[in-house]
Parts: sequence; C-alpha cells; structure tokens
Amino acid sequence: MNIIQLNNVSKSFEQGGQSFTALSNVSLTITKGEYVALIGKSGSGKSTLLNLITGIDHPTGGHITVADTDIHKFGESSLAAWRGKNIGIIFQFFQLIPTLTIIENILLAMEFVNVIPKDQRQNRAKNLLTQVGILEQANKFPSALSGGEQQRAAIARALANKPEILVADEPTGNLDSATAKSIKAIFTDLVAAGTTVIIVTHEDISGTDFDQIIQLKDGQIQPHNSTVSEMK
Amino acid sequence: MSIIFKKSMRDIQQRFRSTLLAILALTIGIWGGGSLLVSFYIMSNDLSANYLLTKPYQLSIQSKDFAKLDLDNLHELPEIAAAEFRDRAILRIEVKPDEWLPLWLYSVEDFDQLSIAKFYPQAGQFPPAKGTIAIERNNLLISQLNVDSVARAQSNGKLIDVKISGIIFDPGQAPSTQDAFIYAYTDEANYTRLSGKATHQKLIIRFNNVKTQQDVKQAYAKLAIQFAAQGIKIEASNIPKFDQHPHQFQLNTILMINGSISFLTFIMSMVLISQLMNSIFTRQTRQIGIMKAIGAKRGHILRIYLTYLLSISAVSIAIGLPLAVLTGKKYSDFIASVLNFDILTTDLPYFIFAIVIVLGFILPVIFSLPMLRNAVHISVNNALADYGIEAGNNASSSRKTSSMGMNIYSLAWRNLARRKGRMLVTMLTMALGVGIFLTGFNVRESLSQFLTNSSNSMQYDLKVVLKNTVPPETASAPFNDIAAISSIEGWLDGVGRVQTDAIATANSIGLVAMPYDNTLNKHDFLQGTWLTGAEQLEFVINQQAASEFAPIVIGQQYTISIAGQDISARLVGMVREFDVAKIYIDIDKYRQIAKLDDEINSLMMVLNDRSYDNVLRVKKQVERVIANQGIEVVYIISEVEYTKIVFDHLNIILTALLILSLLVLSVSAMGMGSAMGINVMERTREIGVLRAIGATPKMVIRLFVMEGFMVSALSVLLGILLALPLSAYGAKFFGNLILGENTPLDFTFSFMGFAITLIVTLAFGYIASRLPASKAIKISVREAIAYE
Ligand SMILES: Nc1ncnc2c1ncn2[C@@H]1O[C@H](COP(=O)(O)OP(=O)(O)OP(=O)(O)O)[C@@H](O)[C@H]1O
Ligand SMILES: [Mg+2]
Repeated sequence: MNIIQLNNVSKSFEQGGQSFTALSNVSLTITKGEYVALIGKSGSGKSTLLNLITGIDHPTGGHITVADTDIHKFGESSLAAWRGKNIGIIFQFFQLIPTLTIIENILLAMEFVNVIPKDQRQNRAKNLLTQVGILEQANKFPSALSGGEQQRAAIARALANKPEILVADEPTGNLDSATAKSIKAIFTDLVAAGTTVIIVTHEDISGTDFDQIIQLKDGQIQPHNSTVSEMK
Repeated sequence: MSIIFKKSMRDIQQRFRSTLLAILALTIGIWGGGSLLVSFYIMSNDLSANYLLTKPYQLSIQSKDFAKLDLDNLHELPEIAAAEFRDRAILRIEVKPDEWLPLWLYSVEDFDQLSIAKFYPQAGQFPPAKGTIAIERNNLLISQLNVDSVARAQSNGKLIDVKISGIIFDPGQAPSTQDAFIYAYTDEANYTRLSGKATHQKLIIRFNNVKTQQDVKQAYAKLAIQFAAQGIKIEASNIPKFDQHPHQFQLNTILMINGSISFLTFIMSMVLISQLMNSIFTRQTRQIGIMKAIGAKRGHILRIYLTYLLSISAVSIAIGLPLAVLTGKKYSDFIASVLNFDILTTDLPYFIFAIVIVLGFILPVIFSLPMLRNAVHISVNNALADYGIEAGNNASSSRKTSSMGMNIYSLAWRNLARRKGRMLVTMLTMALGVGIFLTGFNVRESLSQFLTNSSNSMQYDLKVVLKNTVPPETASAPFNDIAAISSIEGWLDGVGRVQTDAIATANSIGLVAMPYDNTLNKHDFLQGTWLTGAEQLEFVINQQAASEFAPIVIGQQYTISIAGQDISARLVGMVREFDVAKIYIDIDKYRQIAKLDDEINSLMMVLNDRSYDNVLRVKKQVERVIANQGIEVVYIISEVEYTKIVFDHLNIILTALLILSLLVLSVSAMGMGSAMGINVMERTREIGVLRAIGATPKMVIRLFVMEGFMVSALSVLLGILLALPLSAYGAKFFGNLILGENTPLDFTFSFMGFAITLIVTLAFGYIASRLPASKAIKISVREAIAYE
C-alpha cells in the first residue's frame, strides 16, 4: 500500500528577483512500512524534499499525497494537527524546548495533538524514554544531556503520537559512530514494528538494510548504482 | 497542570530579569496611570461638589433701598431659588504682632437657616456667640488666630478688640493660604458694631433654571426692572463665574496635566512591554518553529504567549492597583488641603477598578499584537531558518568590519541599524519622555518668567490703599517721618480682590486711575500701548476684563461706566497680569469725570533699600503709624508679598508639572534602560563570537556603551525637536487656563531642564548598557557561544 506518492513535484525559490530550482520533476512512491534512505551531496535538495513531504514547505509544482491525504490543501492549523498526528519529525539540531524537561517535551507534543488519552500520556512517555534508553534523564532539562541523548529524546518525542511515518534529517550527522549505531538500531526496530521511516544521510549506506534508496543530484532523482534488491 | 501553561511559567522563570522588568514597567504604568485616574475621578467631582453644596450665589446686588423690598414676595418668585442679605465689609485684623491682613467680615441673617452661600461648623461655637466672630478654617494656616483668641481689628480708624469663638469651613472662598485674606462671619448687630455699616445693603441671589452666566444676566435684567418699579436703586451688581469655584482654574490645570501624563505613563509602559515581548519572540522563533513542526496549532502558540502576557498583567495589576488607589487618594487629599475643600468621595465606583483591570490586561496584548501575530503566523520553515536577530544583509558587513580591526563607532552604528525597528521605538519613547519633561520645564520657566514680569511691572515697594479719598498731602503726611521711604505717589487704586471695594466700575471691574506718565507701572502688553495722555479719554484693560469688552479692537471706542456715568472711551491697550478684571485710566481725566478735587486713595511708596527684609521691616513701621494714628486703611501690600501671593497661586501648578514630568522622564528612561538591557542580553552569543576573534572585554563594553550613548544622544535631540512645538502649545494652553482666554504665556526655553535631561538621559544610556555588558562579558566564551 502506497503511503507517500510524489508526482512531478518541483520546488523553486525566489530570491532577489532570481528563481532557483531546488527540485525539478521529482516523482517517487514509498509504501507503508518501508525503510527509506535519502542521499545526495550537500545542496542537492534532500531537506527541501523532506520539508515538502512533511508539509513544512509547499511545492511550486506537482502533487503530493501522504497517507491518502492531499496535504497541501490544508490550512496552516489543520496541517499542524495532521502532521502532529501522522508524522514524527527529527531535526538535525536544536529540537528540544529548552525550558521544558525531557519528559515534558514529550508530553507537550501529546498535548498539542491530543490523540493519546490524558491518563495514558505519562506512562506512554516513560515507555518511549525506556525504548530509546534514556528514562533516567526524564526529569532533566535538554541542556544537561549529551548530543546523542538529546537526539534520542527527539526520537521519543517524534514517536509520541504514534505516527505512521517518521522523518529524520541527518539524525546522526554529528554523533560518534557508536552512538550513531545505537540510534540507527532504534530506527530498524521501528521499521520492524511497521513504521515507515525516511532518513536523510550523508554516511555510507552499504550494509544497512534500506528498502529504498533515493539519490538526489541537483534537484533530480538519480538512479542509484546498487538496486534495493541487490542490497537485500 | 497543562504543559502549555508550564511552559509559559518556565518562560517567566527563564526570562526572569526581562519578566521582572516587564512587571515593573507595567506596575508603574498601572500605578501612575491608575492613581491619576483615581485622583482625577475624586477631584474633578469633589471641588465642584463641595462648591455646589454650598448653593453659591449667582448674583449680588448692592443698594441702600432694600428697606422697600418685600423679601417674602421675592422668595415667592418662581425664578428665585434663594436670596439672603449677606453684607460684607473689609476691615483689617492683626494676625501676628504688627502683621495685618484684610478681614472680610460677613453679616449673617441667621446662622441656623443658611439657604445660600452656606458654610459649615468646624470647631468652637456655631453659631458664634453674639458679639463674636467665626473665621474660616484655612485662616488658621496664615495667622495665629484660633478659637478664643482676641485680636485687634482696625475699623474706621479705631482699634477694636474682636473675639473669635468659632471656626467654620466655607468651601466657596478662595483658599486664604493663597489670597491672604481672613474671612469672618458674625451676627448683624456685631457686623454693624465692628464695621460701622448698616446691614441689608447687599443681597445675594441664586436662581432657578439657569445654566449659564448669560441666563443669570437675563434673570438679573428682569429683576432689575422689578426693583426699579419698587423704587430700589441698584448701586452695583456682580455676577461671578457661573457656579464655579474661584480656584477651579487651578484644579482644571492640574487635572489637565494629570490626565495627559497618566495617559503617557500608560502608553510608555506599554511600549516597554511590547519591546520585551519583541525580544522574547525574537529569541523564541525557532522554538515556535519546532512546536509547530510537532503539531502545535496557532491556538496553542497563542495560548502560550497570552498566558505569559496575562500573568505579567495579573501580577502587575495585583501590585499596581492597590498602590494606585492609595496614592490617588493621598494625592487628592493633598490637592484638597491646598485648595481647601473636603474629599466627599468615600468609595470609588467599580468602573474605576474595571477600567484599570481591563486596560491592564488588554493594552499589553494590543501592544504586543504585531509580535503575537508574527509568532502565530510564521511558517515552520521560516521559523526554523531564523537564527535569532534579523541576520539579513548587514550581518555579513558587520563581520567584515570586525575582522578588519574593529572600528567601534561604525560597528556600534551598524548594530543599531540592524535593530532599526526596536531602536526606533526606544528612541521615540525616550524622545517623547524627554519632550514632555522639557515641555514641563519650559512651561514652568514661562510661568516664572511671567512672575518676574509681574514683579517688574510693580516698581513701587509698598502700596497703602486708604478707605477714603483725601488730598495727597493729608494722605502722605503721617509717613513723612519714616526715613526709609524715598518717595510717595498718590493714585486712585485698589488691589486684588479688594479692588472692587476701593474703586470700580458699576459692573465691578476694578479701576486704577494714575498719572498716565508715572514710572511705577511697567506693564506686560498683550496688545496695543499704554495711555498716551491724548486729549480724548483713553483706557487700558487687563486680559481678565477682555470678556466684558469683547470683541477687543484696539483703537475702538467703548462705553465704560465710572463714577456713576456711562462714558465713551478709546481702548488703547491690553496688559497681562495675574489679577481681577481691571481698567486703567489717567487720574486727571478721572477726576474731571468724577468731579473730584485733587484727591487720592492709594499711596505708592518707593523705598531707598528695596531688599525683601527691609521692605517687610518698613511695612511694619507703616502698620504701626496706621494703628497709632487711626488711619482708615483697606489694604497694605508690599510688592514682594504680592509677588509671593501670585507665586503661591501658581506654585501648586508648577509643582504638579515638575513631579509629573519627572515621572514621565523616569518611565521613559526605564524604557530605554530595558531596551538596552535586552539589546545586550540578546547578543550574548555575539559577544562570545567577538571575544573568540580577539575582542577584549574592554572593547566589548565600549561597543555597547557607545550604542547606549548614541541612542540617548539621538533621543535627546529628537526630544528637543518635539519639545519646541509642545512648549509653544503648552505656553498658550496654560496661559489660557491660568490667566484667562486668549492670554498665552511667553515661550521660553529652560536651560536647567535641558541640562537635567541631558545628564539623566546620557547617564541612563551609560548605566543601562554598561551594567548588562559587564555582566555579559563575565560569561565564558564557550558559554556565550552556546547561549540561546
Ligand atoms: N529558503 C531557501 N531559499 C533559497 N534557496 C534555498 C532555500 N532553501 C534551500 N535553498 C537552496 O536549495 C538547494 C537545496 O537545499 P537543501 O537544503 O534541500 O539541500 P540539502 O540537500 O539538504 O543539503 P545539505 O546536505 O547541506 O543539508 C540549495 O542549493 C539551497 O541553497
Ligand atoms: Mg539538508
């Protein structure tokens, strides 16, 4: 079953009277439960593409359907609500609200979206923290956590509302390899549990069991040298 | 507790200093604005309420024929609300050894049945025992008189002992602390005994269904016809300002200043709040982006910041409102005591509280609306791309400057330009404060200039107003032995509010007749010139008399009624003075009209030594001569005391102006202080970067202090530009309020005010940037760079 579908999607930016095309005629399909890698050189359009899928940004051409919804028909507030419910997002840095503790950060996401019943929130938050292995940090403020721990907290928060899709922009970009490895393990667990996971990565992807690899070059999809079937 | 609510509270905690500043600003705004609102409510009501409760008279008529009047019949007339005989004589009374003041002695028909111009018992006996007097409570402040004192009074050249048996409160009188009169009330027999005058020669009347002075004039015209028919010849009449306390102008001025300042204080504290909100939003933009990305709707974001704002408001109102009520009442008490009226308002109406509370909650929101809107509407993408301050084009150029050996001036300048919007608001607020403060000082200076002028206009040192007109030699003879007096000139004149008892026109405009070429008067002219001595009858008016002759056209003929005749005279000039309505004419011309021989009633004395102490010493000598020789005198006043009386009338206004201008300046200085503080706090990270690339702490501090100085200097400049038109307007406005319509004060520039402004503003600019900057550089470079 297709969960994400892009047809001839383009995105150009206007700046100083000049138009710059970051994505041109991108078409792709992601099925439910897939583990997808988005790769390409810096400036190739990876973040732009992710922003379009999450509805954070709007395409200048083409169609995007996510979870059977034409997301760009939403108004700003309904889009926020929809996104909160369906997509978990993990940014590269600065993601936790500094004035809230780790567990409060997770509870805040639940409060915004309001799909998890109130009496289950506390327990669910603790379970998520256990799942990413930082339960003992629950009542600390983000500044007291290491980079890797903060990233785990961000994953826990992204999972707060049981999203079908998890999107991460270079989640392990500035972590040491051991920490990066343990975070990747969380993603594989999630995929195993049925979540669709899309990650942007710069790193060597050989040896990782991705279901699909999308390679971008100058805003266009490039055929990847090793097919998914080969990798499997 | 909701996490959203928790976040608002944590923001308060984290931005503790900013939040505290916001609370302080709003509290001061609510306190200042609220207390002025409270006092405005109390005072605007109470002075006139005090006055109207006395059922003030609207018309007074003098006649010797009132025996022919059927009083019962008069009371029956539907247009008459009340009428009583209330004769008044002016005597003199010794208030301290060798210090005499005019005594306004009223005869009262029946103390227990006052129906008009009422007054109230305060202490001692009421009614005063037969043969004794009661004096007005405000008199206690300017004399040593009190219940049971026996004082010497001068009447018809004799010294009589009078006993004071009671103190009353007469809200209808101008406060004697300002006018320097003693008001006394006594039974009719005692009135005649003390003054030697018959009673029932002055009737005071209050009408039904009159709403303006014009209505009173019409009612009087009708009454005059009836009186004439009954054979009652009216000698003089007076229609005071319609149902208005004699010192209402002072209160009006104070209320005016209050009103505008309270509005300004409120606005300024709002600007402060909006600046703080702006700074908070600038620093939280990325957080807003994250929250939106994880599912926050617009309503959620709105709730977070509204909670924050409303909490600030709630705390500020909780502190500010009780303070406002307290100080508002105290302030009203103070003004009431100065103006001698009682505060009648005991409970403030709920709407006063409601106004403060509603404004306290709503205005900060309204003033933060642009920021709130931005926070709610910013797209996730833009929010996430935001790195704090407007990074834009200037960021790169400032980096270039810093790497090129850092020119502090241009860097400071660029930094200001980078926050154009906020710095502009800061400067405008500060400029407004400076402008208002300077205006306050300038208007104050205009008033003191006016005081100096009015003191200069009197070139004599002592003025003795005799009760009767006598030949000049007879008048001056008793004083020839006082060596300190260098010269004496004789006039026909009176002074101040006793003027009309000395010499006046038929409609109670004071009259001054003196040699047109005398050197003792140097007037302050609004229009035209002084008397020229031409063949034709000429006259000069003061601005208070203008309404009687409106429209004023210099050179035109007008009818004046003097010495019982209506005479045509040419108006040659109008002077400005703090006095009752008066006209000036040449003494020889007046004598021709009045068929007087070479007689005078006023002695204008010039002393050899004009110093304050000497003038007062000589005055006592003159007083002794008068008491010993039994000379009948209405009034003795020294130029220095008269100037003091004028000053006392204006002083309350001057003081209010000063205090309130200071309030504005301090609120705006606080605004600038906080803006500079925010400026530094926000740039903690930049400070880290600057230091990482080699800037010494000294250089960093210099950079911020430079910015502070630039903002203050620009604010002062803008403030001065603003103060010029404001002061010109203020001189006009306050002139009209204090001296009467169409009587502007002269525009003056107060260098003292300018100096204070400059020092305060620059000092604040310095402290406000120096303190936070010193604090900021204590943070280590590493921490500074990581600072959010
Ligand atoms: N808001 C914007 N305005 C103008 N150009 C933009 C904007 N956002 C992105 N771009 C441009 O679009 C292109 C693609 O940017 P994008 O952020 O998607 O690259 P990326 O593949 O994520 O790179 P990286 O690996 O460095 O994060 C870049 O050339 C970038 O300069
Ligand atoms: Mg990217």
